[in-house]
Amino acid sequence: MVRLITHNLLACHVKGCTSNNFPLQFQDVSIEIREAEFNPDFLRGFIPKIEWKALVDTARQLGDTSLPLEPPEMLDDEFLKNLHHVLLEVHVEEGAMICPNCNHRYPISNGIPNMLLAEHEIA
Amino acid sequence: MPKDVALAVVDGDPEAYETDNVHIIYDEIASHFSSTRYKPWPIIANFLDNLPTGWVGLDAGTGNGKYLSLPANRPGDLWTIGMDRSLNLLKIAKQAGGTNTLRELVLGNVLHNCWRAGAFDYAISIATIHHLSTEERRILAIQRLLEAVSPNYGRVLIYVWAIEQDELSKRRVPTSGNVTTGKDVMVPWVQQPALNSVSHDAQQRVHNRYYHMFAKGELQSLVRQAADNLQLEVGAVPENGKLGRRGIEIVQDGWERSNYYTELRCWKCS
Repeated sequence: MVRLITHNLLACHVKGCTSNNFPLQFQDVSIEIREAEFNPDFLRGFIPKIEWKALVDTARQLGDTSLPLEPPEMLDDEFLKNLHHVLLEVHVEEGAMICPNCNHRYPISNGIPNMLLAEHEIA
Repeated sequence: MPKDVALAVVDGDPEAYETDNVHIIYDEIASHFSSTRYKPWPIIANFLDNLPTGWVGLDAGTGNGKYLSLPANRPGDLWTIGMDRSLNLLKIAKQAGGTNTLRELVLGNVLHNCWRAGAFDYAISIATIHHLSTEERRILAIQRLLEAVSPNYGRVLIYVWAIEQDELSKRRVPTSGNVTTGKDVMVPWVQQPALNSVSHDAQQRVHNRYYHMFAKGELQSLVRQAADNLQLEVGAVPENGKLGRRGIEIVQDGWERSNYYTELRCWKCS
């Protein structure tokens, strides 16, 4: 699966591609929305580790504008539910992720991203 | 009676060797293999049980994903993302845990580094590093785990097969004298013919997988070399240490049911 929780952790790892290699840009994606169990405690613990701008920008590219540009001070239920939806309910099933720096294309098939590189592409 | 396993000779390009003797085989045996791997090891379950809510982790070499749904008593409090080289195992891992929750999976190589540095709170690598065919590659895999987790507090748990097998083991590693280095062996996987097979001559198929069976102390020695390569100290967090000093503490290190394991904790002086 590529949900935005995973997307927020992935970076390009092509040889020499060490700056501007995050976040990967989704391309030609097909998306499915699947409900997941809401766990506010998990979200509160995870928020400090999110690269917030990358998450918000990516969510907007996928058509979800529910998240504020800065994480709010007060983590109310409405915000947490929106965050839950963006992180854990939006599944990118097909398409690709493109490195903003070197343009390497990581394909996504059946919800599984292929992050393999050939040995000569690796630092 | 346990059977002796055959010794292996690793030759040629290690990547190609592992493709032929590990990756292709897991893709072929995925569903039968998965049906035999469902019970989590107690030390691993315990490690995951004790992590704080909201932590996100990497399972490098997740196989059929049997650790992705833990902790069992508070599901959803952790998110473990599974990575493996076998697409067929990943397809099975999607449904790991048997609930309606789908798992997060990535087709990837444990020697590569497809994550932003230090992005994870914890990483586990269970029964995976022993499939790498050179010591250099086994050390690199440990480096990748240490790079994936937070330098300030990241936690790492590694399991590998041991030469020293317990009484329940179906296999025995032939050794002589004092064993200080691991052994390269081929471990057969016997694939049973399908139960509903109509043909009477349905044959068992045997697939030989490459393993490096670890000697006592070897895993810890690799951990020390990996730490050294990353310029990390090995030891407890120093009191009043100089700002920016980084290291790993070996929290536990032992043998359980035919495996060696080690648990590490990263630290950084601030």
